[in-house]
Amino acid sequence: MRERITFIQKQGDSIEPTTLNIKGGVLNGPEIQAAREDRLTIAIDELPTDLQALLGTAHELHIRYVSFQPYEAITPLLARLPPGFHLFYTPATEVEATSPALCLALNKVFGNVQCENAQESFTTLPRDRFTHSAAYQYYQQAVDFSPFIHHVKDQLCSSKDQLCAARADRLAEASTLDISYDAISHAVKVTATWPYQRQEVHATSRPQTRTEVGVLNSDRPGHLEPHELGISGLLTVLGQDKKPSATMFAFASRHRDAESSFSVEFLEPTGLHPTLKLNLESSKPPTEDAYCSPHAYFTLPKTIFADRHQLSDDLFLASKNLTGLRYISQPVDLEAPEYVEKRWGSSLLLELSPPESEKSQSWTAQVPLHLRYLSPSEGGYTDIEVPYPAVFWACAAEEGTKFPNNPFEKVNLGYDGLFGPRTVFWHVDPQPGVSNSLTNTIKVPVLDTDKAEWVSGGTGLAVLLGFAWIVWKLFGVLSKSGYQNQSARAAEVAKVKKKQ
Amino acid sequence: MATSPATPKIAKSSLLTTLFSRPLPLYLSAFLLRLILLLYGLWQDANSPLKYTDIDYLVFTDAARFVSRGESPYARETYRYTPILAWLLLPTTCTAGAQWGPLAAKVINAAWFSFGKVLFAAADLVAGWLIERVLVMGTDFPGPTTSFSQGNGTATKKHEEEVNDEGKGMAPSRARAFAAIWLLNPMVATISTRGSSEGLLGVLVMALLWAVLSRRITLAGLLLGFSVHFKIYPFIYAPAIVWWMDAERFSGVRETGQKTTSFLKKISSFLTLPRLQLALTSLLTFFGLNMLMYALYGHPFLQETYLHHVTRIDHRHNFSPYNTQLYLSSASITPLSTTPAGSQLKIESLAFLPQLLLSTVLIPFVLAKKDLPTSLLAQTFAFVTFNKVCTSQYFLWYMVFLPLYLPRSSFLKNMKLGVAALGLWVLGQGLWLQQGFELEFLGRSTFLPGLWMASLGFFVVNCWILGVIVGDGGGEGRLRGDERMFGNVLYITMVM
Repeated sequence: MRERITFIQKQGDSIEPTTLNIKGGVLNGPEIQAAREDRLTIAIDELPTDLQALLGTAHELHIRYVSFQPYEAITPLLARLPPGFHLFYTPATEVEATSPALCLALNKVFGNVQCENAQESFTTLPRDRFTHSAAYQYYQQAVDFSPFIHHVKDQLCSSKDQLCAARADRLAEASTLDISYDAISHAVKVTATWPYQRQEVHATSRPQTRTEVGVLNSDRPGHLEPHELGISGLLTVLGQDKKPSATMFAFASRHRDAESSFSVEFLEPTGLHPTLKLNLESSKPPTEDAYCSPHAYFTLPKTIFADRHQLSDDLFLASKNLTGLRYISQPVDLEAPEYVEKRWGSSLLLELSPPESEKSQSWTAQVPLHLRYLSPSEGGYTDIEVPYPAVFWACAAEEGTKFPNNPFEKVNLGYDGLFGPRTVFWHVDPQPGVSNSLTNTIKVPVLDTDKAEWVSGGTGLAVLLGFAWIVWKLFGVLSKSGYQNQSARAAEVAKVKKKQ
Repeated sequence: MATSPATPKIAKSSLLTTLFSRPLPLYLSAFLLRLILLLYGLWQDANSPLKYTDIDYLVFTDAARFVSRGESPYARETYRYTPILAWLLLPTTCTAGAQWGPLAAKVINAAWFSFGKVLFAAADLVAGWLIERVLVMGTDFPGPTTSFSQGNGTATKKHEEEVNDEGKGMAPSRARAFAAIWLLNPMVATISTRGSSEGLLGVLVMALLWAVLSRRITLAGLLLGFSVHFKIYPFIYAPAIVWWMDAERFSGVRETGQKTTSFLKKISSFLTLPRLQLALTSLLTFFGLNMLMYALYGHPFLQETYLHHVTRIDHRHNFSPYNTQLYLSSASITPLSTTPAGSQLKIESLAFLPQLLLSTVLIPFVLAKKDLPTSLLAQTFAFVTFNKVCTSQYFLWYMVFLPLYLPRSSFLKNMKLGVAALGLWVLGQGLWLQQGFELEFLGRSTFLPGLWMASLGFFVVNCWILGVIVGDGGGEGRLRGDERMFGNVLYITMVM
């Protein structure tokens, strides 16, 4: 087991090495303004056997949770996803895709994960484009973390270790949590980050665990290439180093900060076909050196969806400040109500079309969406939540630029596999609306069960009466002139008369 | 009732007389109406983000594109039609060659893409022409008094002599005036030029009726089998046609000549050669086409064109009286197990009973021998009114029969009744559409009571209209007093 604890300050902020006090397995330092990232790497044989068995069925599994609380992005922790619970999964064999084992386990570790098995509940990702995509995607807005925190306390902390339990409890406040496994590294990486805030520098090593602590800040070394990020600061291995060692390094990063913001609202009235409006602060590309274009990546729960056929007409797209629909998960049932749809929802990538002007200006793009019918409810309305998208400028890096793995790298984010390997994502900061949460609420009209008492009887009665009325009219015709045609009947009558 | 009391008022206007006196002005104006709508649609599509073209047309043309690439048309989601439709629209996938300039190429591509709309609009015109032929031919053939041998379809000459005799042939100019109800109907022209395929059904069904009335049995069988393959619902016409095709019409032998008492004899006298011929040709066509399509496209063909209609939920709001009930009951099925929550009998599972009883048994039994076109109209009307899903394009299914029925209808004999019926029919839809608009675009929960009451109200109006049609089909030529009064009352309430 290995642990890495990193405090990250902004450029220009740094602490003196002497302010760090290292004694035994404990590091103490001053209170600083920083973001914090904890990463625990656990070899597969160190895991409980049931988890080992579960992971054995996966080729790769990435769980990424992003908080609905907005947080400031701090270099180099820049990769962003829409808020919510994301899962990317490649089964070891295709048979696993139909097994409920993963979903059952997820439900045990996180409360209320609403999936059955990969084949029915997940969407598939395009694997033909770039090979680093997982096979399946799953998304859900809210999950219950308390079983997970309970698990962590149970499995990783000894019963007397109050400090460890307190650390586990703090997972509830994390702005992101990643659990990543792949069969090649044979290890699970659990990474949590906390937002940029005042906090004390403190770390304690744990038995049988190599603990490395970094107090870092972003920096600009002289030799920095345009596609690189610079980091400097102090590194300490607890129980091994007597004092921190200074470090400075640069690495190529696929995720950058565009240093502008966006917000999301819905046009009123929303009706059954709501239009999502993206308000973007800047129309200027984040870098002059490359071709860039803005994108929005949505993970829409099954209550709401986009119609890819509607998003294929250039005139229509242009009227909404959209360039095109670059990807939508398949299939999206355009007709099914929410309560029979088994798939979690859909993900889509839209290329946006900023106004063409020399100087930067704020602008908007509109995304037409459609609501599914929801279950009837008391009062006739049900609120649904629509998570913010991830918005970024995708820029093409220069020919020959390499992006080797860096210590803060994240891959398998859902959208990165939809771009070429040399694409750099410049993330736009989400600004919440009135609720201070990265989500919008839509009031969806549904059938009001309070008034549904008479529907069955009333419908039946109306149909019965309508039917009876027509049968009565038919009976009237039959009794008056039978079912033969008039001339035949007339001839018949004449014949009878003749005989007489 | 020897002379027609129902000469439409419109025929008296001199301009309209010129319109109908010769074929050219009517068909030319019907053609121009569609041409203008088609060109306007092209303009709107090219210049507005709001499209004139129907969503369904994009489904058909996408499916045609899949076919042109050698793939299955069912690769296009929501393509729920026979592959023949995608094949027919293959020309829409043509594009201009490289030798053309960009502007010319754009025009050529737009023209090719519109091929389907042109086809549907042309089908409208042919359907209109067939309506005229049927009216001139006489909507119901007289009994054995005039001897028509089998297969003799050109009976028009004889009939022009006895024009205006009710149920017999009609003067061509008057027939055209009634055909204009279809040909110059803006709703019909709009639906086909927007690219909805219902116009094809119109021509198929009218051709079927024309073939039956002119004793072209094999052709009728082919058309019946083909239209059922195309859109299922025309199967309701089979019992009416078979019932109508009695021995007296086909060989001059009166069925009731000698009373047959034995059940077996009744059966054998019912199973006439023409009836067997129709049954055989239509079944062969239907199953032949289905087997061919199944061989070509496999299970998706069966699933999308036929089985889909069995499993669909139809929960989205539409004109059907069952709609609210369907939404309610579809949601009470637990989502992850698909077993009904309650085991009590649901009324919607019996919905097919009144619908099929009326449209395939009762109405054809009583009306088909008396007045085949009116029977077909009433059957279609009943089928659409009692259906579990009902949208405005279904109205086209019965509208095609209106020109054949209206000349002898109470609605034209008593204009107040006619105006009341039309007004209530439009009002019923208007009320529903208003509630639908509030739901769809304003987000107001109008499912209950608004949409539900509106759909039941529209249902009641439709049942009343259907009752009048049934009465007319039974030869209630003269209006009964109560009906006239009912009509007047409705008229007064509407004016108020």
